[in-house]
Amino acid sequence: MELKFVELIKPGTAHDFVKYRRIAVTISIVINVLILLGATVWPGLNYGIDFAGGTELEIRFKQAVDATALREEIARLGFGEPTVQQVDAAEKHDFLIRVERISLLTREKADAVKAAVQSSLASAQPTTFRFDPEVGDKLDFSFKQTVSEAELKAAAEKAGLTVKDVRTISARDGQDREYSLIAQGPGDKIGSTLREKFGGEDGVEVIRTEYVGPQVGQQLRKDGIAAIVYAMLMILLYVGLRFDFRFSPGVVIALVHDAIVTLGFFVVSRHEFNLTSVTVILTVVGYSVNDTIVIYDRIRENTQRFKGKGLKELVNLSINEMLGRTILTSGATALSLVGLLVFGVGTIWDFAAAMLVGIISGTYSTWYIASPMTIWLEEYWSHRKAVEAARPKTKGGGSKPSGEAAPAR
Amino acid sequence: MDRSWYWKAGFIVAVALASVYALIPSVSYFKLPADQRNEAGVFDAARPKWAPPRHLNLGLDLQGGIHLVMGVEVDRAVREKAARRAEELGTELERKDVKGATVTGDVETGIVTVTAKDPAILAKARTQITDDYSDMYVRGQAGDSFTLSMKDDAVRQLKDSAVDQAIKAIRNRVDKWGVSEPTIARRGDANILVQLPGYSNPEKAKELLGRTAQLEFKIVSDDDSPVTALKDKLPPGIEMDFDRHEGEGGAVVRLAYLHAKDRAALTAFTTANPMPAGFEWGLSRQDDRIKNETTYRTYILDKNRSLTGEYINDARVVFDQRPGEGNRPEVQLNFNRQGADLFGKLTTDNTKRLMAIVLDDTVESAPIINEPITGGICSIHMGGLKPQNEILEEAKDLALVLKSGALPAPVRILEERSVGASLGPELIHRGAYSAILGLLAVLIFMAIYYRFSGVVADVALVLNGLVVLAVMAFLDSTLTLPGIAGFVLTLGMAVDANVLINERIREEMKTGRTIQAALQTGYDKVFWTIFDGHVTALVAGFVIRTYGSGPVKGFATTLIIGLLASMFTSIVVTRAILEWFVGHGRLHKAVSF
Repeated sequence: MELKFVELIKPGTAHDFVKYRRIAVTISIVINVLILLGATVWPGLNYGIDFAGGTELEIRFKQAVDATALREEIARLGFGEPTVQQVDAAEKHDFLIRVERISLLTREKADAVKAAVQSSLASAQPTTFRFDPEVGDKLDFSFKQTVSEAELKAAAEKAGLTVKDVRTISARDGQDREYSLIAQGPGDKIGSTLREKFGGEDGVEVIRTEYVGPQVGQQLRKDGIAAIVYAMLMILLYVGLRFDFRFSPGVVIALVHDAIVTLGFFVVSRHEFNLTSVTVILTVVGYSVNDTIVIYDRIRENTQRFKGKGLKELVNLSINEMLGRTILTSGATALSLVGLLVFGVGTIWDFAAAMLVGIISGTYSTWYIASPMTIWLEEYWSHRKAVEAARPKTKGGGSKPSGEAAPAR
Repeated sequence: MDRSWYWKAGFIVAVALASVYALIPSVSYFKLPADQRNEAGVFDAARPKWAPPRHLNLGLDLQGGIHLVMGVEVDRAVREKAARRAEELGTELERKDVKGATVTGDVETGIVTVTAKDPAILAKARTQITDDYSDMYVRGQAGDSFTLSMKDDAVRQLKDSAVDQAIKAIRNRVDKWGVSEPTIARRGDANILVQLPGYSNPEKAKELLGRTAQLEFKIVSDDDSPVTALKDKLPPGIEMDFDRHEGEGGAVVRLAYLHAKDRAALTAFTTANPMPAGFEWGLSRQDDRIKNETTYRTYILDKNRSLTGEYINDARVVFDQRPGEGNRPEVQLNFNRQGADLFGKLTTDNTKRLMAIVLDDTVESAPIINEPITGGICSIHMGGLKPQNEILEEAKDLALVLKSGALPAPVRILEERSVGASLGPELIHRGAYSAILGLLAVLIFMAIYYRFSGVVADVALVLNGLVVLAVMAFLDSTLTLPGIAGFVLTLGMAVDANVLINERIREEMKTGRTIQAALQTGYDKVFWTIFDGHVTALVAGFVIRTYGSGPVKGFATTLIIGLLASMFTSIVVTRAILEWFVGHGRLHKAVSF
């Protein structure tokens, strides 16, 4: 029985990868800068609740409601990727819903209410007035004297505020009286929309609406960034020791490139950037490092095998020799994402799509970013060596030919 | 087949069997209906008795868990800060040569009062304070005193930072407790939302998270006159007794204290009879292990000679080896350098006095300071009439909360409920099916492209997945979406390793080698490629696991387990299988690669 090999790439293929390195690196720099500007200046990342905080609603339904339908309905209202969690026993039909921050009261509105309170409660001027846009639907007043809750409510309603509740926070002797006005907010709007869709006038009850802070606060962000920077330093060190320090920067630059390009997916698509997105980027970085190391390994091997050849030739040869493997591996990894891309929805689809972008970028960056970096560093090193060699008395002194990336092994 | 091959094969079979064994409980766990599997005892009843009691958990995103809302008593933090500020102001005025003014703080209202007989001194104190402390304002002045309060901005800042610190301390505790990937976020003004995956132990969660863990060391006053003065006022049920210890120069020091069986009665009496300024009542629980009864007693604590637990570096459980103590667990504290200095000074200044170790406003113990303790180590004895294992459990919990830091203000648990998966069941189902579809596609592709050796690679990939899940089940870890991402990455790298091996063997065969020789050189050469690729990723994984937290950590954990498994399956397993077939002459170059 004789079967032919299945081969994607014919042996002896010799694309000149090195030739296009200047154009490729230029284009990559431009794209990376654009993505970084896009992520920071305009239009910015569409941060999800994990990073930006949001609004949490607790809603109770009279009848059973399908969580999927509920999620879709809320997403249709324009709240991106809502989190819908059933709480307590299933028979109670209670749901916790977290949506992107809804701006409840505006500062102008709050100031209008303040003015109204000042003018209508002439006898008792508020000593302090506080409005925190982060909380959104609460206005705090304090007075020297006791003020009736009804009076305060009437004053605020004069300014056009729909007051849901007035609470006395503190009324201790010798201290200021503090009151909170709770405004009717968009939480109630979600409630009324859901009321239309699910079970009648009194079928839906909004139990509470509250601001939730980001899960990833300042501290976690700092920790995460520090972890990634340390990881990069360790990669630099490891590659330097196992290969050559001229190889290290290429790996790290390639992985930064891939991380940025993956970030680009979220900038361009305007899909939500959340904790899952962070793990996609980490995954892409891991993939990119492995891809680069495999090519470096081949360069290291070929350096020993073909002593006379220049680094440019060696790089080209190595990439071409590994072309079959690279395409197979990338293809197989991409293949495993197909199912998710076709059937996945929401966060999971974003996960797969961003990963695909990252894999393509990882393959590209090995060929056109990491490998040229070694060539440039090599040229820079031998140039410096030549200059140093020329400086002492013995003029000229043969500067060594390039291709001396001596393996550490 | 040489001897070493059999060793290898035996090892591989052992790993495979161990993985299956470790995964059996997880299978019975996931067979249980989702809403029951986490109830106490249900899983234990369902798993085979001979299988390990650990199983894979699903994270909040995939399964849900317990949902706690904790209220931080920010107002108390603010008032206490103001009261502490009073002490600070007193010493500051002294230092600035404004003598004759007394500063008192009221813990109930947070109002600081400055009193001075001389109006000139009072005016001087007022300008001094308003100049130096921009976060306070003068509420009013009457007669020989004026009152101060924190400004609104400062109050808000204090409240914010109290909540932030509480979040940090809670996150620390949860991380140290080993719950992977909780949700911890601020909710509203002063509440913290905590969601923990699974429902396994809500009581323990509440106990660990709600504990303030404020530790203080206070010197017991040598002057017991405030207690002896109460001698004739004691109600029935409260008695007076004396502590005796060796004081300076060998003289016996006798200190009066009150004790009672009824804690409420004793606290009511001490609240009704406050200590003079600078001193306070301390309450302690006494367990008599022989009589098997519990009483409560008082101490007179010197407010001004104290040290807080913020200087603790480390806390761990050790066993008291002294005779008569029966290896009772105790918590040993290590101070940081600054703490060691302060503790050294405190113990040097107060040698031969009693030092009360106060945890959450209760005196845990009050040992005598026999000599200055300068090493920065101190231990807390665990009391109680409970069995040894419960005391040990308590000691471990105490060490954990002390190590992860005190909460800046007490927290109360406002809400406790169960929540469903945050991703939504439909997302999970579709995700799971499409992920399996993708994996099958890869397996089929490998088999078609590499034929026989592709099938061998598939066996290795499946084993790889099995080993990763087994290790995770064994470590009781929680599977979340980020964790699955790490898993996917390692499977991708395992595929890459197999591709590299097969391509290499093909290359070697093209140079005219026999299949045996091609296998030998192929594996030898490709070993370092795979090694370097995996180790670089491992290095990154370990760093991220050490410094990162939350989901990033979960990702790194699965990544590390997966990379180690991938190295094993692609280098060792596939080689052993191929060698067996080659050794038995069953492989033909063209058909098999």
